[in-house]
Amino acid sequence: MTQRPEQEDVGSFEEVMLPHLDAAHNLARWLLRNEQDAQDVVQEAYLRAFKSFAGFHGGNGRAWLLTIVRNTSYTLLKKNRAVDLTTTFDEEIHVAGHESVSPATILEHSEDAELIKEAMDELPAEFREILALRHQEGLSYKEIAEIAQIPPGTVMSRLARARAKLKEYLAARMSK
Amino acid sequence: MTCDEAIKLMDGYLDGELDPIANQTIEQHLRECQKCDEAYKTHSALIRSIGKATPYYKAPSGLRERIQASLREEIAERSPRSVSRNIPSLFPSLFQSKPSERRAVPFGTQWSWLALAAAIVLAAIIAFNLAPRLQRPGADQFLATQLIASHVRSLMANHLTDVASSDQHTVKPWLDAKLDFAPVVVDLSSEGFPLVGGRLDYLDNRPVAALVYQRRKHFINLFVWPAESGSAGADKRITRQGYQLLHWVDSDFNYWAVSDVSDNDLQAFKQVFEKQLPRR
Repeated sequence: MTQRPEQEDVGSFEEVMLPHLDAAHNLARWLLRNEQDAQDVVQEAYLRAFKSFAGFHGGNGRAWLLTIVRNTSYTLLKKNRAVDLTTTFDEEIHVAGHESVSPATILEHSEDAELIKEAMDELPAEFREILALRHQEGLSYKEIAEIAQIPPGTVMSRLARARAKLKEYLAARMSK
Repeated sequence: MTCDEAIKLMDGYLDGELDPIANQTIEQHLRECQKCDEAYKTHSALIRSIGKATPYYKAPSGLRERIQASLREEIAERSPRSVSRNIPSLFPSLFQSKPSERRAVPFGTQWSWLALAAAIVLAAIIAFNLAPRLQRPGADQFLATQLIASHVRSLMANHLTDVASSDQHTVKPWLDAKLDFAPVVVDLSSEGFPLVGGRLDYLDNRPVAALVYQRRKHFINLFVWPAESGSAGADKRITRQGYQLLHWVDSDFNYWAVSDVSDNDLQAFKQVFEKQLPRR
């Protein structure tokens, strides 16, 4: 009855999980903002995933793996005393107004990849994470809730706050 | 609906995650309120550009090998010691009670019999619920396994396409020449699903065409082969190992789309694909 990871398990583990390597790396890279850390975290996450693969009973392999990648990333962020884990003080976001910058200006700059990337990198980790999961992986709210370990009902409001914050940072950069 | 409520639901609306009733209410509000409609347009433009403008950090070459090496190292370390791991048990009382720990409760033995009975009932319920799902679409499940394997292989082995071209007039003749049927090939770039190329594959005991489309950074393999007459039926959706499979049949062909994009994206893909089909 005892189960140990063996040679044959590696094969099936790799077959199920390695296709999601790009997604794993992308998430870690956005969370850690550093290539070397991202690679270390992804490697560590795969190892952790392999050890608990017996607990994976089919279903959404990508979400399962990304949850582990996310948790591993946060462990490192906390160790490095990254202060941006959550949005504590800077919470008041005015969805309606960036008085100084018009919507037209934002639209004009919305193709500016460098600007958007910089603004996104400034966001707190939980915002970077949710934007990457939604816009780059195209995940559903349900999958995002599973990975970020928040109630499904929270996903929409967090996404809204993340986007509003991004818009605010973009506006700040444009008015410079 | 007030403006505040509309703003609150706007993100869910843009992401296509609201229920139909909320969708309708917000659409009606946007028709009536110019201010919210403008906010909606700016917001949707921003949302589109986040996906388009931000870099997707693909795994660098070498990371895969690094991971594979560390997994093998892990096994090598583990094997000789042969550590037995505890399996979390569904019924701890049943499996973990050691004789020495048996308490002097008069109902002690009855309890474990009860637990055993409960386990049997539970197992029966699970089996009863699972059995129809496992049995009926057995052929489909087997095919689904083949389809996913083929999709994964195509991405793993650098063998995504035999003919790499976004031009449907290059891909189609190439496939026609190799197969005993002529699949329809359409480019869906304008709909957000650019054609990447085509490939020959072997599924369900016959050569099939695999058309490769891209959705953002993800790939969709669309497997096509002739349908048997009268085999039309409802669409089938299967989710497995994080992959979405969507199956449909038209008057000529069987289609199986396989990808790691979301179910919504795959449905949208099917819709635009069918829309682009030449009318017969």
